[in-house]
Amino acid sequence: MDDAPQPGTPTASPLVSVKAISKAFGGAQALREVSLSILPGEVHGLVGANGAGKSTLIRIVAGLTQPDSGDVVIDGRRVTINSPHLANELGMSFIHQELAFVPGMTVLENIMLGLPKKTRFGVVDWPAIARDVAPIAKRVGVRAPLSVNVNGLSTAENWLISITRALVRNARLIVMDEPTAALSTAESERLFGIIRELSRSGVAVLYVSHRLDEILELCRRVTVLRDGRMVVELTGPALTRQALVEAIVGGAVESQPNHAGACALDEIAISVRGVSRAPKVKNVSFDLKKGEVLGLGGLVDAGRSELARMLFGADRPDTGEMRLEGKRFAPRSPSQAVKAGIGFVPEERRAEGLILSKSVGLNLCLANLNSIIVSPMLPLISGRRRDALVSRTIQALAIKGASADAPVGRLSGGNQQKVVIGRWLQAEPKVLILDEPTRGVDVGARAEIHKLIRGLARQGMAVLVISSDPEELPDLCDRALIMAEGRIVGELAGGALTRHAIISASYAGITEQSVA
Amino acid sequence: MSEGLISTRRLTPAVKAGLAVFARYATIIGLALMIVVFSILSPDAFPTFSNFINVLDQASLAMIISGGLTLALIVGEMDLSVGYAASLHGVLVTGLIVHDELPISLAMAIVIALGALVGAANGLIVTKLRVNSVIATLGVGTIIVGLAYAYSSGVPIVAGVPEAFLQLTLGRWFFGIPNPIIFMALVVVTLWALVERTAIGQEIQAVGGNEAAARMAGISVDRIKVLGFVISGMCAALTGALLASRLGSGTTSAADSYLLTAFAAVFLGSATLRDGEFHVLGTLVGTLIIVFGFNGLNIFGAPTFSQYVFQGAILIIAVGLSSLGRMLAES
Repeated sequence: MDDAPQPGTPTASPLVSVKAISKAFGGAQALREVSLSILPGEVHGLVGANGAGKSTLIRIVAGLTQPDSGDVVIDGRRVTINSPHLANELGMSFIHQELAFVPGMTVLENIMLGLPKKTRFGVVDWPAIARDVAPIAKRVGVRAPLSVNVNGLSTAENWLISITRALVRNARLIVMDEPTAALSTAESERLFGIIRELSRSGVAVLYVSHRLDEILELCRRVTVLRDGRMVVELTGPALTRQALVEAIVGGAVESQPNHAGACALDEIAISVRGVSRAPKVKNVSFDLKKGEVLGLGGLVDAGRSELARMLFGADRPDTGEMRLEGKRFAPRSPSQAVKAGIGFVPEERRAEGLILSKSVGLNLCLANLNSIIVSPMLPLISGRRRDALVSRTIQALAIKGASADAPVGRLSGGNQQKVVIGRWLQAEPKVLILDEPTRGVDVGARAEIHKLIRGLARQGMAVLVISSDPEELPDLCDRALIMAEGRIVGELAGGALTRHAIISASYAGITEQSVA
Repeated sequence: MSEGLISTRRLTPAVKAGLAVFARYATIIGLALMIVVFSILSPDAFPTFSNFINVLDQASLAMIISGGLTLALIVGEMDLSVGYAASLHGVLVTGLIVHDELPISLAMAIVIALGALVGAANGLIVTKLRVNSVIATLGVGTIIVGLAYAYSSGVPIVAGVPEAFLQLTLGRWFFGIPNPIIFMALVVVTLWALVERTAIGQEIQAVGGNEAAARMAGISVDRIKVLGFVISGMCAALTGALLASRLGSGTTSAADSYLLTAFAAVFLGSATLRDGEFHVLGTLVGTLIIVFGFNGLNIFGAPTFSQYVFQGAILIIAVGLSSLGRMLAES
């Protein structure tokens, strides 16, 4: 378990290169003759809109999918990677957005999962293994003791454990897919430090992210994919934010802040007074007006999703009171909340937002079933009403590449998110709650989703947006509340609602020991 | 992505598309082949109108119980109590008619209501006590066996079964078609319309597809699951009562073997046309395959053991085809 393979060898020959890789799924061409090479010890950026082919490319290198044509070359040798196991053997490790740990096992057991283990008299010698792993974990900055259960560790800690696992496997290339999507700013900074350290010690990192600032900060070379093609590889002075955006979008983007401002009415849609639920939410009070887009900012784990779960009836407050249009509102289940007039777009689009195997039409209709039946007496679905509702929604959302009957799982991430939002378009709830509405969504789709949300507010809907992306709230919201450690620690509106103000308010509300 | 015998990722797209078509149509092709082969082998006995009516007649009880089970499986749960429940309700309906001298229609209504009650018990145990449905329905099923013994002391109720009750399955009240076929048609149409054409059917499909997402869309997931069990319980009760009428007796273990038949039929059905999703019309195709198979084996005088081998093999092939379809649909 040598942790510094060939320090400082300035070899120009690539560690891993893919050459003219093509791959089609059914009729759709996911990759067309894509080439990319990664040098030892470099941090290489991979960017592109959703559906540009990044995931497919990674899956091919990881041995999860076979290319239709083209080669993968490692250390100058052509290889056929036909299993994830072989990809690991070849020195590549993959850390995905959804980290895969076995719950109930310790940190050390998870790190060693699937690896041969030292034994004494046929019994696994955990103390000896721990002695081997401990220095690597320390180098990466894992704070949790190796012997604790992985349940309940933070996402940031999980990332560090995954990196440790990669290093224990002697990985020479670590592929990281959206590593900061669920990390706070401080946690991200810590991760960047570790990535730089890895790079210095000769481990290459393929860094996949939508967050261009991070890409610019970390990577010296960046490959841009668009529509399955490699558009450009940017390096040196050519590597600028503007150049990246243009390459991703394919031409100049109109930068139009859709911040329409002041369309909030005076009527209060929902009022929350002194709501607490141990341990994450403490004495939260606020009002949300009709026609207002209210942001809920702060760091990950500030208690925002937990607050949203209470508004949506998934959890019940310990204390405090909520009123919906003046009436006492204490939903005991999501279905009661929906009946009372709440709509919810959950954070985990694939796990909680969509029925992936079912059609776009069924997914859109789920919150609108009462409006597509023949009559309440005869609850048969009227094909005419259903088709009208579905095609109207698809049009309003500009969902591309989708027939109403196609399984929703085949759509790109941005279009999937539009379907989840679209479900509430016709249902017209009084209050719509969106948890991270544009996470993992490309620049173009993000602008469209923002426009859609503003449009709903203009119709008089009250909208609550939870977002960890400090750039999103000024773009989208009339007003934002900042939460830290379960409390509301700041309120920003109008000109004061800036990225900078959000970040400083998020940190100002945190007590000393919880900041890195 | 599992490493199965057929590892989908190593296949070329053409082979994959071919396999997908195979997985989707294999059951229907199988049914057609079986009919053709039996017709060639036994041209006098098998391909006759009266034999086909006979097969449908035999298929009807199996289809009713399988149709109900389909609903439980669509909402993502197992119901292992259907066979035992059908047996109990067969005993009960006979007892109500013979011992308590209730009118047949009332006795039928009572057992179907009791079937709904058994289903509701299953559903509430699964959703409120959070007991895994395999365990919950196995437990309820075993209790039911006990209840059936308690009611009948294990002695079949044979004497005094009125002719009118036998006519429920023997009769041909409409257009000379055996009554069970009519019952089956009514159940199939009702269940199909419920799942595919009603608002609640959309909720049923949503719950089966992704429970968490269904909950977040405002659907009462627990209520839908209980409904799935209730329908399963009612169909099991109807099957049990019709079987008692056909046998002319209430016997404590008469319908137990329907459990295996129903599971095989529903899984065969899930491999039919829809890439591993359970659906009512698929179950109909699955039931017909099994019953035609039995009928053919009977006509050729195949020994008893072969029927067990056939049924076990069919169950495994059915689940295999079903997961092959799902795997290909996902890749």
